[in-house]
Amino acid sequence: MSVAAAVTERIHWIGALDPGMRTFDVILKTPSGTTYNSYCVRGSEGVAIIDTVKLECADQFFARLQQFADYGEIRAIVLNHLEPDHSGCLPELLRRAPQAKLYVSESAQLMLKALVKQDGLAFVPVTTGDSVSLGDRTLRFLHTPYLHWPDTQCTYVPEERVLFSGDVFGCHFCDRRMFNDAVGDFRFAFEYYFHHIMRPFKRHVLDALALIEPLDLAAIAPSHGPILRDRPRDYVARYRELATPRLKRETDNGDRTLIVFYISSYGNTRRMAEAICDGAAEVPGLRLSLYDLEGSPVEPLVDLVEEADAILIGSPTINGDAVKPVWDLLSSFAGIHVKGKVAGAFGSFGWSGEAVRMIEDRLRGLKMRVPVAGVKVKLIPAREEILACRDFGRQVGEFLIGRQVTREIDFSELVSAA
Amino acid sequence: MAKAKVKFADVNVTVTVPVGTRIIEISEKVGSYIAYNCREGDCGQCMFAVVEGAQNLSKPSELERATLLQQYREIIDGWRSLDSAEAIAAAMKRDNLGGRECRLACQTQVFGDSVVAPL
Repeated sequence: MSVAAAVTERIHWIGALDPGMRTFDVILKTPSGTTYNSYCVRGSEGVAIIDTVKLECADQFFARLQQFADYGEIRAIVLNHLEPDHSGCLPELLRRAPQAKLYVSESAQLMLKALVKQDGLAFVPVTTGDSVSLGDRTLRFLHTPYLHWPDTQCTYVPEERVLFSGDVFGCHFCDRRMFNDAVGDFRFAFEYYFHHIMRPFKRHVLDALALIEPLDLAAIAPSHGPILRDRPRDYVARYRELATPRLKRETDNGDRTLIVFYISSYGNTRRMAEAICDGAAEVPGLRLSLYDLEGSPVEPLVDLVEEADAILIGSPTINGDAVKPVWDLLSSFAGIHVKGKVAGAFGSFGWSGEAVRMIEDRLRGLKMRVPVAGVKVKLIPAREEILACRDFGRQVGEFLIGRQVTREIDFSELVSAA
Repeated sequence: MAKAKVKFADVNVTVTVPVGTRIIEISEKVGSYIAYNCREGDCGQCMFAVVEGAQNLSKPSELERATLLQQYREIIDGWRSLDSAEAIAAAMKRDNLGGRECRLACQTQVFGDSVVAPL
């Protein structure tokens, strides 16, 4: 089984191919399988192993490792990311190379103990600025957390100008030719991986890029998919483009963005949505949008929510619940960053009207801020109920621009049904 | 049941709560921008500032004290890592904790009237 292995004269790929993988981590499809990339770095005073592979692929990993190093030479083991597909062979590797020191990021320490339940596991926590010498080669660490776990980091070998980037710049694509200039067209896999893995962490991507962009790069060696040795900077630039908010880049007049989503069976929740927009429109400095959930697939709406400052969701109550298109939208927020955004709910009902409360609970569960209690209307909104909707829209708008009214309430209003 | 008033200064909402209620149980529901994460006193994300009435809140446990210490260290390290005087001045202005008592929202219980705010 020959696989292209030499990244440079001193750095070899010793990972594993998994061409049969089709669903990764529940959330990702992998139509061409994946690779678990592990690397062997040779210095004049010892060898470093960067990441391991999934336990099921241990045979491939140890067989390749043995082609390039003896276990006795291994001085350092670096885990850039602790997920089991990279840490799976760690216990066995430590058994075979007991003299090796293990390096993980500072935030990896607790996770490591939970993952490798082994007494006396020794490791050295490292962060940006720390380095380990292998004689004539050096491992330099970059603290790049939340890409896509709290523990993630990158490791750079300046003498070889190679960045071991962990899952950053990776993708699920299995091709034994291994290098981006030799493998098939993997653009789809690269973009898909960013959208499903890195997207909720765009801010952290930008922080990491600030550390990565100044590096002199001959190649980026990620932990999945092709090794990027042909124009590695293009991939760095693409990450910056993907992580930078678009709306603010295209039209930034300082307005705060409020989107009102609704779905309506008899037009009552729609009337409420319109009144809420009218109310919010009285507040200056807002960019307001109104969307009927019936009129669009979910994905483009999620794109809008990603860059919005606030969202309101209107749903009728049917059989004691909000309706499916509302839950479809809400269940898609896991793929973007919504924590801290302002949110609220409203809706008309005929019988019991649970939807508003259930939506609010979900919004809070997503760590969004729900500053104004939602409006419920029994069936057709009367004039004063329309005014209550306008009020609701205006209050949310005022909260959004930092102009809140002073309120005094009892805790029971917060815990019982609105 | 004995009651106490907690004001969330960032959203201008005062809530009357049963004595013993934890700050996090209220802050989330009024939309105050106190962040939170682990809810177990371990991560420090929910650190907030006590504006008034510190004596009316539960005393911090050893766990909370250790996490607060870690958070203070990280804030100071964050300042250290900045490379210009202006950036350090701006960061210190942003999270200058001088004179403010900080606590963890997931740990702190309300025993009497107080005013709290995000950092």
